[in-house]
Amino acid sequence: MPHAEWEDFTFDGIGTRWDISTPRPLDASVRSRLLAIVERYDADWSRFRSDSIVSAMSRQPGRFELPAEAAALGDLYRTLYGITNGAMTPLIGASLERLGYDAAYSLRPSGSALPAPRWEDILDWDGTVLTTSAPAVLDIGAAGKGQLVDLLAAELHASGVGGFLIDASGDLLNSGPEPVTVALEHPYDPAKAIGTVSLEGGAICASAANRRTWGDGLHHVLDGTTGSPVRTSVATWAMAESTMLADALATALFFVPGADLERTFEFSWLTVFSDGSAAYSAGFEGTLFS
Amino acid sequence: MRPSVRKSVFAGMAGLSLIGTVAGCAPSASQSAAAPSSGSGSRESSAATPSGASSSLASSGSSYKDGTYSADGTYVSPNGTETVGVELTLAAGTVTDVKITQHPTNPNTRKFQGEFAGGIAAQVVGKSIDQLNVSKVSGSSLTSGGFNQAVEKIKSEAQ
Repeated sequence: MPHAEWEDFTFDGIGTRWDISTPRPLDASVRSRLLAIVERYDADWSRFRSDSIVSAMSRQPGRFELPAEAAALGDLYRTLYGITNGAMTPLIGASLERLGYDAAYSLRPSGSALPAPRWEDILDWDGTVLTTSAPAVLDIGAAGKGQLVDLLAAELHASGVGGFLIDASGDLLNSGPEPVTVALEHPYDPAKAIGTVSLEGGAICASAANRRTWGDGLHHVLDGTTGSPVRTSVATWAMAESTMLADALATALFFVPGADLERTFEFSWLTVFSDGSAAYSAGFEGTLFS
Repeated sequence: MRPSVRKSVFAGMAGLSLIGTVAGCAPSASQSAAAPSSGSGSRESSAATPSGASSSLASSGSSYKDGTYSADGTYVSPNGTETVGVELTLAAGTVTDVKITQHPTNPNTRKFQGEFAGGIAAQVVGKSIDQLNVSKVSGSSLTSGGFNQAVEKIKSEAQ
């Protein structure tokens, strides 16, 4: 709980633990609407579910209608695809599968690294309509969890819940009246933090390269132009107004210096490198321990 | 997968069925229950300056045998069950050291850990989260559940 006396609503969704803190307990009707949003998002976007729209896209090309949130997701991915010169792409799914990050959790590479197909070659993402010219394994993992946080926040606002804090296993959105002090988890020791930051309003998201390792030098942040893992940055944080943006930019920081991303996006950033050094924007000034 | 507590300096074995690489993680330094792996000298010095990384064992009021204990905890990431190894050093009922053990068979992880540990003093400094007045942690480990699970196993085994 971020504040004394606040109530927690805790549940599992899209494979992770969620914790929504509010000044008063949420009504049963609000809780069931939140859970329905999580289930619906998973059912549409998960490449691990054979009944999802995304799974259908991997089986054959065609025209696919996705829900309203697809428009904002597509715009953000397309922008980052350009800024990272194709390194950050939602078409990374097949590359992940090749390295063993597949629906069967084989966790074994099935061949050499596979570059993602070029967006402009096989995908037309127009608002909520995706048209593909070849089977495509879509993976929105870099922004999907953050977007789901925002969708839940919108439901809470619509339900008249003013103050709340959503914790999606380390990706946080504070919509409460008070700032929340957040520890920045040490990349190699989850019992330690490398600093603390005051989250006044908005979101903070983290990404780290050392987690979810499953084999020789393979981890889950892949460069779409080569299909191989990124090795320089080991942990990143991004603060932004929307959780989707913070989530996506935390991943983008593995490909592009934060200062470059600041030309396009309004956000704060912190990158820790494999040599233990760190770079950060003004929003993270004074947050690191010394 | 039900990980078991082992009194040895190696952790992470329970994850090997997932990782699929066994050879590099042979328990060459297994310790018996009666012979904890930490030396008495280092135990005394660390007890004099406890790290304070976790006080949950000491605060229970129970008595625990000195030694170094390791256990695995599992947690579910968005893409399946993963394992974290936790190694606790106990001295006089107090936790004097906590290590999070990654799979030593993974050369990339080992390389990163080594590089990071070397540079951290000059740049980034870690502090125990238990010592900080925070209620929220931003990170991507998803390991808190697995960590707590492993600590519970160690508590029951060390009594």
